[in-house]
Amino acid sequence: MAVTVKFFAYFREVFGGRECGVPAAEAATVGALLDRLGDTPQRRAELLAGAGLKPHLVIMINGAPLPPDRPLETALKDGDVVAIFPLLGGG
Amino acid sequence: MSAAPFGFFGKIIEIDLTGGDARVLPLDTALVADYLGGRGLATRLFYDAVDPQCDPLGPDNVVVIAASPLIGTTAPTSARGHMVFKSPLTGVIGTSNSGGGWGHTFKSAGYDALVIKGKADSPVWIDIAPGKIEVLPAHHLWGQDIHATNDELTSGFEAGSRPRALCIGPGGENLVLYAVVGNDKNRVYGRCGGGAVWGSKNLKAIRVQGKEKIQIHDKERYQSGYDQALYLLRQAPVTKRLMRELGTAGLVELINVINMLPHRNFQDCTHRPEDLERMSGETIAKTILEKAAGCYLCPIGCQRHTRIDGDDGSTQRGEGPEYETVVLMGPDCGIYDLAAITTANYRCNELGIDTISFGGTVACAMELGERGLLGAEKEGGLDLRFGAAAELEKLAVDTAHRRGAGALLAEGSYRLAERCGRADLSMTVKKLELPAYDPRASFTQALGYMTSPSGACHLRGGYAVSLAFFGGTKEIPRFSLLQSPIAIRNMQNTGILQDSLGVCRFTGYAFGSDPWSRMLTGVTGMDFSVFRLEEIENRVASLERLFNVEAGATAADDALPPRFAETPIVVAGEEKMVSEQAQERMRRDYYSVRGWDSEGRPTRALLEDLAIAPRAGRAS
Ligand code: SF4
Repeated sequence: MAVTVKFFAYFREVFGGRECGVPAAEAATVGALLDRLGDTPQRRAELLAGAGLKPHLVIMINGAPLPPDRPLETALKDGDVVAIFPLLGGG
Repeated sequence: MSAAPFGFFGKIIEIDLTGGDARVLPLDTALVADYLGGRGLATRLFYDAVDPQCDPLGPDNVVVIAASPLIGTTAPTSARGHMVFKSPLTGVIGTSNSGGGWGHTFKSAGYDALVIKGKADSPVWIDIAPGKIEVLPAHHLWGQDIHATNDELTSGFEAGSRPRALCIGPGGENLVLYAVVGNDKNRVYGRCGGGAVWGSKNLKAIRVQGKEKIQIHDKERYQSGYDQALYLLRQAPVTKRLMRELGTAGLVELINVINMLPHRNFQDCTHRPEDLERMSGETIAKTILEKAAGCYLCPIGCQRHTRIDGDDGSTQRGEGPEYETVVLMGPDCGIYDLAAITTANYRCNELGIDTISFGGTVACAMELGERGLLGAEKEGGLDLRFGAAAELEKLAVDTAHRRGAGALLAEGSYRLAERCGRADLSMTVKKLELPAYDPRASFTQALGYMTSPSGACHLRGGYAVSLAFFGGTKEIPRFSLLQSPIAIRNMQNTGILQDSLGVCRFTGYAFGSDPWSRMLTGVTGMDFSVFRLEEIENRVASLERLFNVEAGATAADDALPPRFAETPIVVAGEEKMVSEQAQERMRRDYYSVRGWDSEGRPTRALLEDLAIAPRAGRAS
């Protein structure tokens, strides 16, 4: 019973892998999940700035972006796939 | 003679290849004020010089390349050139941009723009330096690939005075409808078949050399914009480090996360993540990448210099693949083999064909093959199935030489599918192959493909993908019919500005118009406020449209292939497609945002409003 978190780009080095599972009970919201993932000052600094999300950070839940209003309060449920990465570009 | 203006030289070269005559014409300052440089200026000069009804591969087509007032300064990435012509692939405006160093060196020769008309009797190349413009025989170069031609024309000079060359390879010589013009060795004017237009004119190469310097009007003002730009480039992770670390292929896995990565000629967007992982930017960086590098004056550095070691102990070096190439020659063809894609990419670079249109055409041929729709074409040697990685490299070589199956692939996917009676299986808009983002996964991107002046191009049509990634408050909803027309107009205008400044798209990940406005005003002493820049963007967009209308394009050409309106894909758990009605509504609203009539034609009132003068030399 877990939420799957996928990391891309240099976040794979920062968070030590491509992917991890977080028990759903510890990831009821995006805010709770980021609290849990930001377990060192460096990791925390990649995710959060003050009380909000860090600029240039992108989080997608099952391929959809976070809502613009109060994104940290977005609810997560068992089986959700959360992709986390620094804003990327290309083309 | 009056003193040279600030930021440019006030000189246009016009060469008529039919008689081999070259002359230098004055560049009117008012044209710079209204059209800036690069894409804007080239479009205006092109519009004035060409008959929109001309045969794109006939002597009446015209090629214009223009620099901008920023070129010659230290502004980040400001070394690009922009080329405009009538496209043999699409029949509408061909408009293409390239990095490298040619644009910068051309300006250092003391000129702002180059207009090429007519057709030479036999192969020629053009040599340009301060005080020298020569049209010379090119028999010894004809048949050589882009790397060899470039070496031949640019080696043997002292460091610091080394010339730069643009040239075509066999792809352009053989009139492959999506042949490129190569710039340095591995940069290209990639889309719309400019290389074939050069080939049709018997023009093999243009070499430039020079050390002329432009005058800067207000150094402090320029510097304030420059400092702001550099600061912002160092802040945004994309421009600070990600492009250098991962190249554009850093997008591969992410575009899959948002269900936008095409599969098997855009039949769906379903892939096994482990297959994509083998060809991601992360994997490229760990395996085949030898070094990342940047175009001239570029602190971002997305170039991939790579190496492929063959099973037989051989080693090949080249550049690429970047995102579009990985996906269109890869998963869109059912291929997940990085080495096969990379070596085919090397051949495309050397022989001079566009990897996007080539990949899209091969994918189309594979679908035709699987559906048993290739009849007589099979006899021509074309009989492909999805996943045929081992054939990719040979197909690229044969296409550039129009040999066997390559003769059919050289015509692009639309003409191939049409001759098989299934034009609907060509994934094109205005006969230009789609880039590697499925339009069903973003209405905004769909509208960008529909309304791009040159056909389905993410660089001219607007790049909505970044919008989907911003998240939070900056996000433009991917599926908003209401917001897409304005959002894509804004993205397209940003592109017009960057192309007209001669700077790279990727600066847009760090900053918008403001630093450019300051640099430009500082360099020229002219009013290039953000408001004036917006006027220029709108003027160029409507002039490009006017050309297309005069060339015969109609609203019916602003449409996606039927597949995207009929067959849904699954995005974030929901079925999505871009229905005819959705397309009709977005098209209508977009025309209205642009100030065009209900058929997508710029009105007379709008042309007056935007001060778009009738074609020079003709009272309309
Ligand atoms: S970001 Fe890439 S394409 Fe753009 S100027 Fe730099 S190296 Fe060239």
